[in-house]
Amino acid sequence: MRKKILATLLSTAMVLGVLSGCAGTTTGTTASEAPAEAKEEAAADTATDAAASTSDFSGEDPQLEKEFHILSIWAEDNDNGVLINSICKSYQEVNPNFKYEYELVSSDDLRQKVATLVASNDLPDMFVYESGKPIVDLIEAGQVADIGAMLSEIGSTDYVTPSATSLLETLSGTDTIYDLPLGLNVEGFWYNKALFEEAGIEKAPETWDEFEEDLQKLSDAGIQPLSCGAADKWGATRLINAYTVRSLGADAMKNAAEGTTSYTDEGYVKAAAKIQEWANKGYFGEGVNTVDMNTAGSMLMTGKAAIFYNGSWFASNLNDTTANAAGEDGIGFFNIPVVDPSVSAADAYSMNCGNILCLSQAKTDEATKWFVKYFVEHLGDVAMETQGSIKGYTYSAQASDMSGYTQLVLDEIGKAQSAFTWYEATMGSELSDAAQNNVQMLLSGEMTPEDYMQSIQDAADMAAN
Amino acid sequence: MSEKTKRGISSVIIKIVILIICIVDIYPIFWMLTASLKQQYEWSAHPAYALPDGFYWQNFVDAWTRGHMSVFFKNSLVYTLVSLIFIVIFSVTVGFAVTKMQWKGKKFVADYFQLGIMVPVATALIPLFQIYNRSGLYNKSGSLIISYVAFGLSLSIYLVTGYLRSFPDEIMEAAVIDGCGIYKLMYYVVVPLMKNAIVTVLVLQFFFKWNDLLFSMTFVSSTDLKTVQTGLMYFSDEFGSKNWGAIFASVSMSILPMLLLYTILNKTIIEGMTAGAVKG
Amino acid sequence: MKRVLGNKGAVTLFVVPALFLYSIIVVLPVLWSFYYSFFSGSPGLKWEFSGINNYIKLFSDKNFLNSLLVNLKYIGIVMIGQVGGGLLMALMFKFWLKKFKNVVRTIVFFPVVLPTVAVGQLFAKIYEIQPNYGLLNSLLSAIGLSSLVQPWIGQASTALGALEVMDIWTGIGFHSIILYGALLDIPDDVIEAGRIDGCNGWNLFKYILAPLLRPMIITCLVFSFSGTVKLFESALALTNGGPGNATRSLSMYMYSVAFTYNKVGYGSVIAIFIFLLCITGSRIINLFDKKESYY
Repeated sequence: MRKKILATLLSTAMVLGVLSGCAGTTTGTTASEAPAEAKEEAAADTATDAAASTSDFSGEDPQLEKEFHILSIWAEDNDNGVLINSICKSYQEVNPNFKYEYELVSSDDLRQKVATLVASNDLPDMFVYESGKPIVDLIEAGQVADIGAMLSEIGSTDYVTPSATSLLETLSGTDTIYDLPLGLNVEGFWYNKALFEEAGIEKAPETWDEFEEDLQKLSDAGIQPLSCGAADKWGATRLINAYTVRSLGADAMKNAAEGTTSYTDEGYVKAAAKIQEWANKGYFGEGVNTVDMNTAGSMLMTGKAAIFYNGSWFASNLNDTTANAAGEDGIGFFNIPVVDPSVSAADAYSMNCGNILCLSQAKTDEATKWFVKYFVEHLGDVAMETQGSIKGYTYSAQASDMSGYTQLVLDEIGKAQSAFTWYEATMGSELSDAAQNNVQMLLSGEMTPEDYMQSIQDAADMAAN
Repeated sequence: MSEKTKRGISSVIIKIVILIICIVDIYPIFWMLTASLKQQYEWSAHPAYALPDGFYWQNFVDAWTRGHMSVFFKNSLVYTLVSLIFIVIFSVTVGFAVTKMQWKGKKFVADYFQLGIMVPVATALIPLFQIYNRSGLYNKSGSLIISYVAFGLSLSIYLVTGYLRSFPDEIMEAAVIDGCGIYKLMYYVVVPLMKNAIVTVLVLQFFFKWNDLLFSMTFVSSTDLKTVQTGLMYFSDEFGSKNWGAIFASVSMSILPMLLLYTILNKTIIEGMTAGAVKG
Repeated sequence: MKRVLGNKGAVTLFVVPALFLYSIIVVLPVLWSFYYSFFSGSPGLKWEFSGINNYIKLFSDKNFLNSLLVNLKYIGIVMIGQVGGGLLMALMFKFWLKKFKNVVRTIVFFPVVLPTVAVGQLFAKIYEIQPNYGLLNSLLSAIGLSSLVQPWIGQASTALGALEVMDIWTGIGFHSIILYGALLDIPDDVIEAGRIDGCNGWNLFKYILAPLLRPMIITCLVFSFSGTVKLFESALALTNGGPGNATRSLSMYMYSVAFTYNKVGYGSVIAIFIFLLCITGSRIINLFDKKESYY
């Protein structure tokens, strides 16, 4: 209780600080080009009309005091961890009063950590989370800030690309976003060009029939056609999703989630049967359930398998010359082949925003908004400059050394006209667990496609009550 | 077949069996060391039991620097040692009180402590987090030490009571006749004779505390306060990509203190484990 | 004597601090989660009082029943393996091992030292089949048993067995050392006397060693039982509960329910069930301890 009072006092004090700060800048000259001295002078004669402009975020950063706690799943020197830290550090030059703490948990433990924090109303200012159903629970409980509204308040809406925004809105089923993207990825099939040549395949398949013919050709040539990280489960359900969406349309999974169709309907079962058929034909090699995504990826690169389904983030593995035995031009990419272009067109891609960033509703204050403003306005450029990757923000910078694979990914993202989501995106955790756990039974032949889809439907029924 | 050759054959068989047992138990440590020297590509290029192509020390460098091992090592050492001191003190005193001393309710107290062995740790996480959060202990090293001590008590007390069961009353009687009070009795007679039991508790709890990940992940958030096992997380990412070489380098480094401790104390430990309290 | 051992002040000093700490940190959270078990959802997320609904749900929950079955099978095999195997090894050390006693005893204890993550990875590599055969499959195909080569942890039929072997391996050395110590405590003349009376091999064990070892065997069983009931880390490290739900233990299911499904209330019910199972099991094991209890 005492803590609460203290917090209230503190935040009141902070708001007062904000008021005078803002008023200061706006009474000076207009906006950001104000020369430093002028700003200081203006700040010096403090707030006479303090209340006027709390929500004016167009001026200089008021350098509010803030202890900002970030919960992340990437080490400081890895992937998005680099970007977040680099933004925080450069923001500290703008606002020296901004202090941040960067906490790392493993991605397996993220849910547990967040659940524990939610239980004591102590979510960190900013935290990495999963889009889709998981975030919906937080939204419904009013735990995370409405970022769409915040962006328009701080005038930075345009910095998040429309495609990322609409994808995030779709995923949370809301008309505003409650999360910031940390990636804009397309998914599809990576293939080993040398092995394709060896099997006499001239070009990447475009239709599903061609795809299956190619698989057969590879298999006939004694090459393992597919590597799949079924130990990591999602690597396998993505394949079911590929056929489901291409044969039933982008809304297929959503319809089943909403109950307009059933997971046990024929079309869904057929997709599951397709994957089992491949497993039975030995397309995945032996013991696919013991292979993790990492191994599956290196099997592709070392020429032990010809095709591997993964997202555009896989480019970073391909860029690693010590790991990629196939070399700079040895691996190609093709979008999920089309079953029926009228159901799902060739320029529709499976897309996701990776893990996303949320803001604690309770801890969001003026200082947070200033930081978010800086964050969204700079992340796109920083990501492009340092990693050559697209994160769902506008950018004007150019990557310093763009590898072939990075360029390849950018081109594919550019081709995407519409997006569909992954298999479990619309599923609650129980369903998602059933889908992911049992897919291994499907692959090992210990569960029929009918039973597999039934297990997902059962989980749906169970979750409902 | 003569009796002699029969015995000869069976002795050879036994030797072979024992040799196999030893190999099976040593191999993992050897394997882990070789694994920690492998480069990433070797994991798919060669079978896992193959020797590394070369000595890729970079894994250890990565583990030490990227995995913040120097900080984590120090933290783990401090937490573990401090909590061990308390665990030993508490388990010896409580263990003695519930077995040898005479007071009402001691059976109940012993049972009450024994229940703790049964508690699934994950159950306690959310309530404990709230306790620490409200008392301001969250993200303090204190929260970890307290949890380690409390969750180490049940098993330690159970072990100590086990040893004290066979502790001869005559020695204590003799000491009391010589004029020892309870505290002197504890300090000069009971504790020295329980050396082996204490070492057992120490070592077992050392292993448990040193390997803890769940508590350190839940109750502290600053990188400065985290423990050795947390270091492993620096080498895997959201899409299941793992840098196995560096992971095993971290593991190798993290078991080093345990192996050292074990090698130094192994005679005492084995004697302690073998309930030899009476033989002293 | 009585005066010294009945010293009230000393009892208080010895017991109260630990009792206090233990009550707050271990017992209170357990009671707290009992309170949680009457709510649906998670604290902070759809947290509503739901009476005994969670308890009713438990026994119609297929996933729960499946985990219970998996866990019981696991407990049975691993307990027998760890304690029985440990006993065999201890007997071997005592009667057959003449040289290198210390070295061998040191070595068999090694697996206890290794972190579960490392053991899990090691065995995953031993059972490996793709991209390269692991140790086991390589051995099988080398001795001409290629038909037995299979994805040991990649199919439901063998995964639990593979996990059990791993955990027996981890625990067997520990139990063998404890039991070996108990064997050493048996005076040699007792064994000699038995021998003179014509007891050998099995009879020696049955009539002389087993009764004397009983308290220690029971301690080992309780140890092994309380560890296996809470099966979590090793299954997570080796199979992650899969394939399907073939190796998902009660604790793992509880963890998923509480933290992934965001149903801490229901998760608490499962936790309470594990706790009760643990107590019941230990009581049953202790029934075999016909000797008077040690208090």
